[in-house]
This record gives sequence, C-alpha cells and structure tokens, in this order.
Amino acid sequence: MNGYLEKLTSYVDTIRSIQETIITNIILIGQIPSPTFKEKRRANAFLERLSELQVDECTIDGYRNPIGIIRGTSDTKPPIFVIAHLDTLFHKDIDHNFKIKENSIIGPGITDNSIGVGVLVSLPEIFRILDLRFESDIVLGGVIQSIGKGNLRGIRHLIKTWSTPIRAGICIEGTELGRLNYYSSGMIRCEVDCTITTGYEWEQKFKPNAILVLNEVINQLLQLRMPQRPRSRIIIGKISGGQKHGTIAYSATLGFEIQSDSSKMVKSIFKDVKDIMEGVGHEYEVELKLKTISNLNAAKLKYNHPLVKSTVAVMHELGLKPTSGPSESELSIFLSRKIPAVTLGITFGKNEQEKDAQVEIEPMFKGIAQIIGVLMAIDSGVCDE
Amino acid sequence: MSKSWIETNTFHYSDFNDLDNLVKMKKSKNLAISLCLPTLNEEKTIAKEIIFMKSELMTRYPLLDEIIVIDSGSTDRTLEVAKAYGADIYEADSILSRLNKFKGKGENLWKALHVTKGDIIIYLDADIKNIHHRFAYGLLGPLLLSDNIKYSKAFYDRPIATGKNKIRPTGGGRVTELVIRPLFSLFFPELTQILQPLSGEYAGYREIFEKIPFPIGYGIETSMILDICEKWGLDVIAQVDLDKRIHRNQDTKALGKMAFAILKTFFNRIEKAELINLKTEMFDEIIQYYLVKDEFKPDTMKFEGFERPPMIEIPEYLEKYKK
Repeated sequence: MNGYLEKLTSYVDTIRSIQETIITNIILIGQIPSPTFKEKRRANAFLERLSELQVDECTIDGYRNPIGIIRGTSDTKPPIFVIAHLDTLFHKDIDHNFKIKENSIIGPGITDNSIGVGVLVSLPEIFRILDLRFESDIVLGGVIQSIGKGNLRGIRHLIKTWSTPIRAGICIEGTELGRLNYYSSGMIRCEVDCTITTGYEWEQKFKPNAILVLNEVINQLLQLRMPQRPRSRIIIGKISGGQKHGTIAYSATLGFEIQSDSSKMVKSIFKDVKDIMEGVGHEYEVELKLKTISNLNAAKLKYNHPLVKSTVAVMHELGLKPTSGPSESELSIFLSRKIPAVTLGITFGKNEQEKDAQVEIEPMFKGIAQIIGVLMAIDSGVCDE
Repeated sequence: MSKSWIETNTFHYSDFNDLDNLVKMKKSKNLAISLCLPTLNEEKTIAKEIIFMKSELMTRYPLLDEIIVIDSGSTDRTLEVAKAYGADIYEADSILSRLNKFKGKGENLWKALHVTKGDIIIYLDADIKNIHHRFAYGLLGPLLLSDNIKYSKAFYDRPIATGKNKIRPTGGGRVTELVIRPLFSLFFPELTQILQPLSGEYAGYREIFEKIPFPIGYGIETSMILDICEKWGLDVIAQVDLDKRIHRNQDTKALGKMAFAILKTFFNRIEKAELINLKTEMFDEIIQYYLVKDEFKPDTMKFEGFERPPMIEIPEYLEKYKK
C-alpha cells in the first residue's frame, strides 16, 4: 500500500467512471425515510445492497446496526471501521423522492447523511474498480440511533461489543468536503420541561407563564461564567411552548447543550444548571424537569498523531484544504475508547436541515478518493505505532 | 370470456428479480434491447431514470443495449440533462424529417422505432418520481422468459385480490375507470382483464410494434391494445405489477382532454371493426368552459386524431432494416 498518495488523483477519474452506480446507491438508500429509532427499512436496504455487491459477510449486530465485512488478506491485522449514521432528521411522511440535476442531488436528508450512507455502500464496488485489497478487514457499518435522542446508541453498542481490537475508524458525513474532525468536546444535551398545573379557568390570570419561566432560566444560564480555558459554552438550541396567542402558556420546553474541551468542566457546569433549575422552580412555584438527552466525554487525537498527519497529506494531495473543529458524533465514541479515528466530509452542500437540502455531485469523487487514501494510510500501518 | 388470461398472464415484478437469468436468456435468444424515454419538459425526473437504468441494467447487469430520449420540443433543460448522463438524445422533428411533423407521445414512440436498434423496445414515461430499475426488468421478464408473450404492460399498487373475499381496488386512474373500462365492458369484455390499460409503461418486440399504427397523442395506449389483440390475440400480452408509481397528478380538465382523444381513437377502431355504424362524422374539438369574471368562456382544443401508419410501411425504415 506504500506510495498510495501518488495514485490518488488518478483514482478520482476512475471513481467518476462509475458515478451512475454511486448515485443510484445514494438514491436507493436515501429515498427510504429513516427518522431516528425508525431506521429498520433503511438498514435492510443497506444490507440488501451490500449483499448484492457480494460483500463477504453481511450481518446485523445485536443492536440492529447493519454491517458488511470485506475480508482482508491478513489474519492478524485488526479491522478498520468505516461508518455512517443511517438516521436523518426527517419524518417518514415527508416526500423523500430525490431530484437529480446536472451537478446536484436534492432531497431531505441528503446532506445529513444519505450521501454518506450511499457512498459507504458503494465502497465495495469502488475497491473492485480500483483493484484494491486491504490487509485489514474493512467493516462497513451503517449505525442507527445516532442523532438527538438516539444519543449515538448504535455506534456505542457496535464498538462496545466488537470482540477484537479495532485498528482505526473513519466516520463519513455528507458535508462539507475538507472537514477533518479529530477531537470531540465533552457535551451534555439537556431538555427542560416547564409545566404549570391548571385548574379552573378563572385561575389562569394568577398562574405563571411557562414561556416566561423558561425565559428566566435562559437569562440565568447566560449569566453563568464560562471559562476560556478549558473552552466551554452553553448553546441554547430549541424552544417551544404555548397553545394560542391570547392564553397563558401552561407548558414549554427548552433544549440546550453544555459543551467543553473538558468532561470535568461539563459536569461542573451541569451542576450549576441544576441549581438554576431548582432556584427558578422554587421562585415561580412551578415544576421544572431537567432531562439529559445525551452526553459525551471529551476526547482527542493530537494534531501530530500519525492518522491526522496522514489525513492532512491525503487532503493536500487532492488539493483540499483541511478545516478542523470539534465533532460531537460517532467520532467521540471511537476516541473515548482510544481508537484513532477521524470524521471526513464527502462534498459541498446547502440547505442542510431543509427538505430541499442539496449536494454537489462533482466534488464527491474527490471526497471518496480522500476516504480511500486515508484507508490506505491506515492499512499501511500509520496507526499501529 | 376467457377467465384464465388474468391468471396465466399476470405477473409481479419480483417474479423476475433474478437478473442474471434475464441476462442469460437475452444472450441465448441473441436479442438487443432498447429503452426509450419520450420527453417533454422532464428535467426534474429524467436524470434519475437514466442513472438508475444505466447503473443497474447496463453496468451491473447488461440487459439494455441503449437508452434513448426522444423529445417533443422541451423548453427546459431536459435534453442537456439527459445528454450529461449519457443517454442518446433525439428531437422527434429531426427523425424522418421529410414527413409532416406532429407533437405527441405516440409520435415519439413511433419515431423511436426508426432510431433504436433493439429487437425489444421498452417504453417508459419520463415523469416517474419513484423510478427503480424494476420498471424495466419487470416488463422485460415475460418477454424474455416466455416464447409466446410479445407485449407486456405495467400496472401498479398491487391491485390483485389476494384470496377469497379479499377484494382490493384495481388502481386504475379516473380515465380508466370512467371511460376505458366501461367501453371495454361494452365492446371487448375480455380486455377488462387488463387492469390498467392506460399505464404509460410497456415493452414489446419490434416485430409487433412495427406492424401497428400509432396515434400521435393520447390514444396510443388504447389503440396499441386493440390492435395487438386484433392481430395476434390476447395471449401475446402480459401484465406486470410494478408496485407503486408516483407521477404528476393531472386536473380534471386535462383528463377530459385525454378522455376525448381516447374516445376518438376507440370509436375509430370499433367503426373500422364494423361494431358500430356512425351516421355522421365525429367532431374533432373538445369544448370546455372556464368561469372568467362571472362569465363562462369556452376553451376549445383540436384533436384531429392523426395516426402514423405501421412503421414497416415507411421506405426509409425498410431500407434501414433491410426488410
């Protein structure tokens, strides 16, 4: 596998030559709705497609993650994982029929993460056309229950129950091409429900307003002092509540995340948040329920880790400029178990969380070549030191 | 009425899922297969159809020898998109250009006979939102696996009763249920077994298509069934359940125009077959009314009912295929 860097640019053209197959895989899988906790149909299609492509072993793990294994040439090298999450933000009743233009694919969930899953399913065919064999087994995993309340359950289970050591992991995300994530922040994702008990209608004017109570919570969260080091912050992400314009809101919900480079700091801030909830609840005589939706420990590779350095070299070879940032995704599960891993983007896109999300087709071929390059680097032993 | 046809000649696309076997049959019969997509402003859906068919039925399973797009004069980017994804594109007017020019789906299908090279031709509408390669291999299945079947036609939404007392709707559209089925029941009851006679997806052997006339517009599906049945009998026809098809919904006025063209084609056929005797010529304009500022205004559209003769009567075609 040595000398793989020089081959990468020629790989782009070869990969482009089977663009119909890659796009077909993206559509076949992406057009199946797959909201978190309801990924079964997409998981079945994922497996069916891998078995059609004659992947050596196609199976479902104990948590219903579909997996394909391409057997390597070595009996001793641990497997390399390439994974993409199967779930999307879009409800099953939304029209999932994609549109294809001359250089783009449009449809709900295409950026996050249907294009990633379609590319993952295409890898066996891409290896075949590039005439690539790896020493390690390549494990292609479509992981379920990643987003939001899924709390990365699929990947947690897959890694936790895998019986052998894992050589390294590559997480595929639809966008943006050039992203290179190699560290993840510590995070606790919370939801606060404020409920006002209701009785007779005449009581209404004496009751507190759930939205205003949450407004007070927000004010107090914003007054918390966030340290610069370790870098920490609270992101207020979602709010909903009330029934109609002229009626006091009896219920409201606030969603937010505590993020920090240090898991310890996240826990410390979470304690402060709990104190705020208790205080506001007491002051307004309302019930504030604080729920933890998901949590992650901070974990990172160093920038000079051989996997990061090799990935940067691959990207430079393909004319890509690496952009780094923390990732609160499957990456953190690999890293927290001391498995070197990176997250890579496939192409450029827009309207990410909208029904008309769009990805560009042409940059995708470089995005795929980049994954091949990193796989070859790992297989050549960069993570084995 | 033959009761067995619907039982013996009705299939589900999954009966033909073994694509390796279809490829084997194609090779053993030494056949070429063409896919034809007639278009008019289909830039939103055409790319997906071409990509699916190329990937699955050309690259992975070599069933199709060519994909051609025949266009009636699109004003959007249909042709550019089709070309970008590797289809052979033709403007209908440029084929057999010495002949009078007409616009219509039937015209495109007829001209496809002149430019395709396949022994079997698959015609698929280009506006299918949920396109899948089953639309093509499902129609090919009966043609390749049976020696008798020469023409296969799609139906959708699993309309067959699944057992005793389990009756489900046939899934026919409004024009089928309000126009075609009553007419078939009156004049050709055995044809009512064809569940969706107006479906726009069908495939057949060239030797069949080249010997029948093609109405240039909406009447093409109806005339095809009537003519094939008259010449070769119902037993050469198969119908295949292709599951779900999502397409554009048409308003009632548009369906009225479609029904008018179909009725005209139908009456021409039954008059020729001496099943009725019309005492007067039929008119060739449909008149529909719109309410414009409290006033009813007529909107007329002419359907002259032109038909192309069997392609085998065209000298250029005879020359090209050395008939």
